[in-house]
Formats: sequence, structure tokens, C-alpha cells
Amino acid sequence: MSGVQRAANSLPVVRPASQAWKRYPRRCEFVLALAVIVGVWQVVSVAVHNQTLVPPPLQVLDAWISLSGAELPGDILASLVHLGAGYGLGIATGLALALLAARFLFFEAVIDPVVEILRPISAIAWIPIAILMFGIGRGVPVFLIFYAAIFPVFINTLAGIRQVDPHLIQAAQMLGASRRLIVTHVVLPAALPIILAGARLSLGVAWMAMVAGELTGADSGLGWRIFWYQEFFAMDKVMAVILTIGVLGYILDTLIRWLQARITRWSPDDSETGR
Amino acid sequence: MTDAQRRWLPVPVLATVLVLWELAVRQSGQFMLYPYPSGVLAAAVRTIGDGSLLAATSGSLYRVLLGFVIGGMVGVPLGVLMGSLQSVNRAMSPVIDSLRSIAPIAWIPMAMLWLGIRGKAALFIVAYAAFFPFVVNTIQAVRLVDRNLVNAARALGAGRALLARAVILPSSLPVILTGARISLAFAWGAIIAAELAMGIKVSAGGSAAVGLGQLMVSTLYIRRDVNGLVLYMIVVGVISLLIDVAMRRLQRHLTPWR
Repeated sequence: MSGVQRAANSLPVVRPASQAWKRYPRRCEFVLALAVIVGVWQVVSVAVHNQTLVPPPLQVLDAWISLSGAELPGDILASLVHLGAGYGLGIATGLALALLAARFLFFEAVIDPVVEILRPISAIAWIPIAILMFGIGRGVPVFLIFYAAIFPVFINTLAGIRQVDPHLIQAAQMLGASRRLIVTHVVLPAALPIILAGARLSLGVAWMAMVAGELTGADSGLGWRIFWYQEFFAMDKVMAVILTIGVLGYILDTLIRWLQARITRWSPDDSETGR
Repeated sequence: MTDAQRRWLPVPVLATVLVLWELAVRQSGQFMLYPYPSGVLAAAVRTIGDGSLLAATSGSLYRVLLGFVIGGMVGVPLGVLMGSLQSVNRAMSPVIDSLRSIAPIAWIPMAMLWLGIRGKAALFIVAYAAFFPFVVNTIQAVRLVDRNLVNAARALGAGRALLARAVILPSSLPVILTGARISLAFAWGAIIAAELAMGIKVSAGGSAAVGLGQLMVSTLYIRRDVNGLVLYMIVVGVISLLIDVAMRRLQRHLTPWR
């Protein structure tokens, strides 16, 4: 008996945290990991000894502070405007198409193959055409974000509506609920967790599409700003903008996860299963 | 609507769209401005004939596969560590999460500076993009191994090697392979983005097209061939479809018990 116990303990599987660790805040380990990364970065930049090739962490921080008093807020705002317009349009379109497809069989038979043909063509592949259609400017990132955001929401909404327990609908029908009441009070709430998971996936791909679109075909926003600073070989500023993109993306994802958990408190978290 | 009707409905719909599209462009007479189906077909015949499409596509695919392998070789071991050791996971997961939110293409200027503009910078972007799905899914895979199965195998006297081969691998491989499929799809998207951005940045220098992305840029800015652009877009889509189908086949083949 004890042999089995010991054998199991020696396995590399999740172990409960010891009491000592519990008293530490979890941030401790994160701060440690961050410190190690910054430390390695510092060592590399000293070793390379080339401030353009590997700008040291402090210099990047310095650049970031000076930028946040200058162009950075405007760039963030421009990016968020692109994202808001494209993502809002994309989510609305995906949702509307999925609702129509769920309601009308004929519409589904037409839209489904169209989606299946377009879906493998990533937003990225549209960049040259988008530049041709809209010219360099706001149109390119907004279109790419819009295009990228449609698919996850469309697919998840349709799947979400499909997996609603027919017994629930039958029960509501038997109790005399109207069609509209069933849609708003049974089908949509039951599908909501999956729809929201789709919205989160959409935000992820939309964020990538935004950076790609701004890098290649825009005249404002964080992605555009990266290449702008590269023209001057101001790599510390380039790094500052790259890190800003990371932090902002992280904040947006946390935000939508929080929203997801808040709106669908009753549901087990299946945001990770997504696709 | 019967099943057969449903299956064949897309064909007339698609045919109608294509014919209307062709007629509309012919009617307008603006052949330089709008792409049209027969023009796209002609572009396909031309670029396949002179080998430029094949050369660019294989260049891109080669870097995607290489970056995919690198991403997996770094991502899977790290995922195993993070999945099995709680302290490593707690330390690394915020770092991984924040690095993951940096769009791979955002690294392009640094990658170009570090690795040059030919192939290697794109390779870095691809490996970066492929890395994260590998890590996330491997962590999941390790966590999903059923403790009861492990204990049962132990109780029956299985050694480490047998345990790894007979219990841990069969239960974690499907999840890791799903990660590999997502990774490869990401990698394909990333290479096109990377090559496009590099092509736009460097095309003034007149460098030769080495990948599909650079070919797209030169088609857009130098040759101004709209039909070619639509063709390359379709090629990108077809390849990502093929990648998905191939990876699903491989998954079924390698893990038939799933």
C-alpha cells in the first residue's frame, strides 16, 4: 500500500502547494520570472553592446515613459478605434448571419459553403486586395479586423444554438411559450456561453489582424508606429511599442474573460475549448 | 430540403456568382481595376507555367515547416514542465500569457534587424507563432492524464518506460496533436503576414521574391496585377485547407483510439 503511495508521489504530476507557499502571494513567482527575463535581457544587451541591436531594458522603459507623454496615447487610441469599428461590425455580422442560418434552412445551405470557402483564406491573405480597395489608411485595418472577427462568432453561435437541449424547447412550448419568448428566454441564454467563447476567439484573431493591417496598410495605430520608429532605427522605441501591444492585448483578453465570467455566471467555464 | 439538394445547392450558387462576376467586369470594361474569374484562371496558367508560383509557395512552406518544428521542439518540453510542476506553471504562465498577446508580426522590425531580411526573420516569426499553441495544449495534455490509470499501471508493476509508453503517451498525444494542428495553421498565417510586411518594407531595394508574401507585394506594387492577387489569395486559402485536412488525417492515423 505504502509502496503504491510513494510511487504515485514520485510522478511528475500536479502536487498541492505546501503551506509555506500558500502564505506567499502568487505574484511572487511571477515577479521572480519577470525579474529573470529582464535580467537575461540586460545581460544579453550588455554582452552584445549595441543599443540598436538589443536596447537595454532601462532604455526601453525610458523610451516608453517619454512616449507615453507624447505619441503613444494617440497611437493607442487610433488602434482602439480600428479595433472597435472592425470588431463591432464583425461581431454583429457574424451574429446576424448565424441567427439567420439557424432560422432559415435555405439561408444556411447557401451561407455555409460560402463560409467554408472563405474561412481558410485568413485575413492576412486579404491585405494586398484590401490595400487596393481602400488605399493606405483606416480602411485596411478595419476591413481586416471585420473579416477576421466574423468567423469564430458565426461558427460558435450556430453551434451554440444547435446544442440547445431540445427538451428545454419542448418544455417551453408545452407551457405555452411563444416562438419569440423561446428564442429570447430559452435558446439564447442556453447558447450564450458558447457565443461568448466565440466572441473571445474573435477578439484574439482581430487583435492579430489589427497589428498586421496597421503594419502593412495603415497610416496610424500601434502597428504603423513600429515601422515608423524603425525608419529612424530607434529600436528602443520600437521595443516600447511592441511591449505596449502585448500589454494591451493581455488587458483586452482579461477584460473579455471577466465579462464572459460575469455574464454567464451559471455556466462552467468552457472558454478554453473554444473551437 | 433533402440531403442531396443541400449538398448540391452550393454548385449552382457558386456558378451563378462566378458568371455574374465575369459579366459585370466585362460590362464595365475596367479590366485593370477589377479582378475577374477568367483573368484569375489566366494568371494561374501563367504563374504555374513560368514556375514562379511553385517556387514562392515552396519557399514559404519550407519556412513554415521549419518554424513549426522549432516551435514544437521548444514548446512541448516547456509545456510538459509547466503541466507537471505547479511552481514552474505559476511562474511561467503570466510570462507566456503576456508574450502570447504580442502579435507575432509585431516582432518583424526586431527580427529583420537580428536575422536579416532574406528568410530567417520570417522563420523567427513563424516559430514564435507556432510555439504558443504547442505550450498551451501540452500543458492541458499533461493535466488530462488520468491519475487512476497511472496508479493502476504502477500497482501492476509498470516501470517508468512502460508507464510513459503505455499510459502517458496514449492519453496526452491526441491533445498535443491538436495543438500541433493549431500551431501549423497559425504558422501559415504568420508566414504570409511576415513576408508581406517584409516585402513592403524591402521591395524598394528590389530584392528577389522569396516567398508567397513577397510575390504578393511585387504583384501589388510593381506589376499591378489584380487577378494575380486574387489567385495568390486563393492559393493561401487552399494551402491552409490542405494543412488542416492533412493534420486531421495524421491525427486520426497516429491516435486511432481517439
